[in-house]
Formats: sequence, C-alpha cells, structure tokens
Amino acid sequence: MATSFFSVFPALVNPVIALLGMGLGIGALLAFVSKTFRLESDPVVEKINELLPQTQCGQCGYPGCKPYAEAIASGDSINKCPPGGEKTILNLADLLNLKVLPLDESYGHEETKKVAFIREAECIGCAKCIPACPVDAILGAPKFMHTVIESECTGCDLCIEPCPVDCIDLIEVSQGSLSSSQAMNDEEYLACINCGLCIDECPVDILPHELYWACRGGELEQAESLKLMHCIECGKCDKICPSHIPLVDFYQSSKLELKLQQQERIKAENAKQRFENHQIRMAKLDAKEEYRRNKRAELAKQDRQQTSSESIKAALERVKARKK
Amino acid sequence: MTDIFLILVGAILVNNFVLTQFLGLCPFMGVSGKVETAIGMSAATLFVLTLASACSYLVFHYLLVPLGLEYLRTISFIVVIAAVVSITEMVMHKTSPLLYRVLGIFLPLITSNCAVLGVALLNINQAHSFAQSIYYGFGAATGFSLVLILFSAMREKLSQCDIPEPFQGAAIAMITAGLMSLAFMGFSGMV
Repeated sequence: MATSFFSVFPALVNPVIALLGMGLGIGALLAFVSKTFRLESDPVVEKINELLPQTQCGQCGYPGCKPYAEAIASGDSINKCPPGGEKTILNLADLLNLKVLPLDESYGHEETKKVAFIREAECIGCAKCIPACPVDAILGAPKFMHTVIESECTGCDLCIEPCPVDCIDLIEVSQGSLSSSQAMNDEEYLACINCGLCIDECPVDILPHELYWACRGGELEQAESLKLMHCIECGKCDKICPSHIPLVDFYQSSKLELKLQQQERIKAENAKQRFENHQIRMAKLDAKEEYRRNKRAELAKQDRQQTSSESIKAALERVKARKK
Repeated sequence: MTDIFLILVGAILVNNFVLTQFLGLCPFMGVSGKVETAIGMSAATLFVLTLASACSYLVFHYLLVPLGLEYLRTISFIVVIAAVVSITEMVMHKTSPLLYRVLGIFLPLITSNCAVLGVALLNINQAHSFAQSIYYGFGAATGFSLVLILFSAMREKLSQCDIPEPFQGAAIAMITAGLMSLAFMGFSGMV
C-alpha cells in the first residue's frame, strides 16, 4: 500500500523522509536534554516560604508556612494568609508575576500583631498547650506553671483552644509606628524638577533626588541600593532644594521602615527554624510513643495468652477433681 | 570586519526588529513591566535567536537545498526554533527556576516570536553566509534586548509617576513605544 502510494507521488518521498529524520533527530536530542536536566526539588518553594510571615498558624488550611509555600508553588492561590495580609500578597504577586488578589476573608481577617500571654495564677500546669505551639515558645512542665517566651511567640492562637481553663490571652503588641512627618503630608513643597543641586551638596556622595523618588514610591530595595543607609541626615539637601521638599523626612521614614522590615525578617527566619525543630521533636515523640504502645500491646498479648492457658488448665483440673 | 560591523549596526539600530520592522511585539509589551524580567527575557531571546539562526542555516543549506525542498523552509525552521526553545526552557527550569516562573508563558512563546522566524527567513532571503547569519541573529537579538530593557526601565519609572487617568496602563505604554519607534527612525539611512 505504502509503496504504491509513493510510486504514485514520487515527489513526496524526499520531504517525508527529510522531515521524519529531522523530527527523530530533534526528538532524541530533547529526550537527552530533559534527562540530563531533570529537576529534583523546586527551589521556588524556599523563595515563597521566605515571603510568608512564618507564624505557622495554619489559618490557610495547611499545617504551617512551608506546606502552604509548597501548595502555592503547585498552583494554590496566594490570598489565604491572614497574618501576612496585603503585604505578603503583594510580595508574592511580585515574585511569581501573578495578579494581586484581595485577602480571602473566609480564612480570617488581617489583624494587628499579637502575642499569647498566660495568666499564670490560673494555669494548672496541664502541659496541653506545649505540643500545640508550632514554634515551641511555651515553657513549662506538667504540674508546673507555664509561661510564653514573648520574643518567640508568633501570635498564631493555636494554644488557646487546647487550654482547659482558658488562661491564655492574646494581647496586642505595640510596634514601632510608621508615622510620616507633618512636613511630608503638608504638600507645601513642589515637585522634584531633577535640578541636581542636591547632588553637589551631599557630603556622602549619594544621589538625593533619586533616593527621594525611591523612598516616595516605597521602593525600599532600590533605596537601599542607592545607599539610603549612608545618609547622615545632615539636611544640606533640604536647604538647597528649590522645591522645598523635606528630603530628610522621607529618608528617615524609609530608614525606619527598612529597619522594621529587617527585624521582621530575622524574626520570621527564627520562627521558621523553630517550627522545623518543633516538627522534628514531635516526630520523635510520636515515634517513641508508638514504640511504647506496640511494646505494651505485645506484653498484654503475651500475658493474655499465658493467663488464658493457665485458667483453662485450672478449670480442667477443677472439673477432674469434681469427677473424682 | 566592516562587514560584521555593518550587519550588527544594521540589525541593532537601523532595522531594529521591534521598532522598525514591528516583529516580536508580543513579548515587547508583555514582559516589559519590570527591568529584571526584561533582562531575563532578553537573555533567553538572545540565546534562542543566535542558536536558531545558526541551526536554521545548517538545516536549510545541508538538508533542504540538497533535497530540493526549499519550499519546506517555514515548517522546518519552526520545528528547529521550537526545539531550541524547549531546550532553553528545560535548562532554565533547572538553572534559574525563579526566572522560569516569572517568564511563565512568554518563554514558550519565544517559539512564536515572529522575530525569531523573521531572522531565519531574512537570512535566507539576503543570502547570508553561516557566520553572517549568526551575526545577524545576534544583532537582531541585541536590538530586541536593547529596546526591551530600555522600554521596561521607562515603564518602571512611569509606574511611579502621576499619569492622567485616561492614559494609565496600556495607553501610556503604547505612547512610549510609539515615541521610541520615532526615535529609532532617526537611524534609518545610516547603513
């Protein structure tokens, strides 16, 4: 059939063979490349995890921040994290080039930062809250009063529910406030005209007008790369500015924001570490408990077999005695 | 030497593929939101375009011409380009997963970037030699990168500006692109 087809259309032989050969060759090459460059684990998960607030609260429906990061990497939506709120969603959207979504309210509301506090007079020392804490921030032992290590608490509220006497409260923590100065909001200054007068004036060789744009746009990373932290706040640029922009006020508020952000990052990193340690500890405890339970079950089984055989023997003897 | 220089300048500035020949506009508008992404896209396109123009030259002159199949060049070039893009995609997924994610759909779309096919076909039409084809492909990709990165930098600046409401978003991007195209017209007649 095939030969007759090609004998009818001899002009088709060459193109078919050429394209077939090319396809086979390219297919083989692709197969080889896909084998050599196979992916083991997705490093994007780590990047996503770094942007999550690491409260390990589980409000997203996953048992911690890392599992949620994995879920996002495989396509879950980015708006399920109430503690991170709008900021986290913006960062995630930026990282993954996704559309910004409003926070999904069915998973909770964005609230101010809180920490757990144990009313120590009422604590009965039941130790039920200790395994519930995802970052091991509760200190205590059975029949002794517990307390919360405030600097480690992420305010996830997972310890509230297991407490039988309701002695744990969530209290708000005061954060450094990001108040913008009066001068910044007055709008009494004019727009920056890029005149460059401030550049010559600056004693530490930064570009004050570029830095101003970055600070004003909230582009902290860019501000940092423009040497925001080198600014000594001498105020020379303020004085020379023909538009009367309160430049130093902008720098100061950005510096504060940057510092708070760094603190938060360090805290999140710490919480992540503690969550991982907690997971390992709980796995170990579970394994131990499992081992003990199995051993006990085995002993009980042996015991039962022994006692049953003994009791049968005794019964038989009793019957025999009665017959006599 | 002058030959190479002329090809490069011609492809980068005078006959810029995006702004003068209007090829490859899809990634030009799509991935120019951020400079970082634009640089990634430029690198990927640079690699794909150079390699694809070399491969398509080889395929044309050593497979299609001897068999008398010049009429199959569009199909075979597309196959070659798709293969090069797939390889780039796999390598990038392994080496730079974040960039892979950020580029998203635009990476496979390099396949259908008309600039890539355009370069391969123009190479044949202008009877370039093997080396000339590579230079031409490289020049075209450099021109694409240059324009894409400049445009994305402008769009980044624009996103911080107070743009009148009717001009926000795509409108101001189009106007910017048009102005850039006007500027590049100034190069015409140079080579």
